[in-house]
Amino acid sequence: MKTAIRRQMTIHPEVMDVLNEQIALEMHASASYLAMASWCDQRELLNSKAFFYKQSEEERGHAMKIFDFINEAGGAAISPEVHNITNEFEGLREIYEKSLDQEIHVTQSIYKCFKKARSVDDFASEVFLQWFVSEQVEEEDSVRSILDVFDLMGDMPLKMIDERLPTE
Amino acid sequence: MFMDVFCDIEFNIQLKKETFCNYSLKIDDKEISLSFPQLLQLRNKINEYTLSENLEHIIANENFVLLFVADKKHLLFLEIPKLLDLKDEIAVCFL
Ligand SMILES: [Fe+2]
Ligand SMILES: [Fe+2]
Repeated sequence: MKTAIRRQMTIHPEVMDVLNEQIALEMHASASYLAMASWCDQRELLNSKAFFYKQSEEERGHAMKIFDFINEAGGAAISPEVHNITNEFEGLREIYEKSLDQEIHVTQSIYKCFKKARSVDDFASEVFLQWFVSEQVEEEDSVRSILDVFDLMGDMPLKMIDERLPTE
Repeated sequence: MFMDVFCDIEFNIQLKKETFCNYSLKIDDKEISLSFPQLLQLRNKINEYTLSENLEHIIANENFVLLFVADKKHLLFLEIPKLLDLKDEIAVCFL
């Protein structure tokens, strides 16, 4: 950035744009986890419900982290519209599979932001995004280890599987 | 002849930095003063309107947009060519 804009904001405008998209994605993930939590809550799947409520909070935390970063850097963070939230599910395993897909999607999107920051030499944003890169590895991992339990337990009743899920 | 047509579709849109945190947007016969957050807001709105799916929607319907700028102090009437012109003018400022 060689223009006057650089004096107003330290973040590169194009990085700001992809980070705003990322905020929308994190908020969408948060709302989506909330729907999953409710499904589990209604069926008294205690471990799963706790897991998804916590995930929902965490995703909002991710969004806020980016939100603060953009405004802190002199940019304009945008509170996103959230739509297309599914509240209907076939079963618990499907929910965990959906959440793994969602996490993978978020990971890809973080990589996109990272690449953008790198391509325009926005090093501060690149460093900021490093935390998200490692966070996504953990997030994907925790869902994968739950899906492993499903594979091990096969056709057992949902409640029994739920009781054996790893809790943090 | 060609030049005449060209002049007709040329809109006089100009975005200038006035002071450290003030910008001025000349459009039609208006001159609008914008703070930096107001400029960012305008950039964001224009970028949204000019996403291809939104442009198609505008063209298929009213064929223009009414846009509040500078914290709703001004209202702009933008037909498609003007909208695209404004987008370019803002983009240049953010290069
Ligand atoms: Fe996240
Ligand atoms: Fe996540």
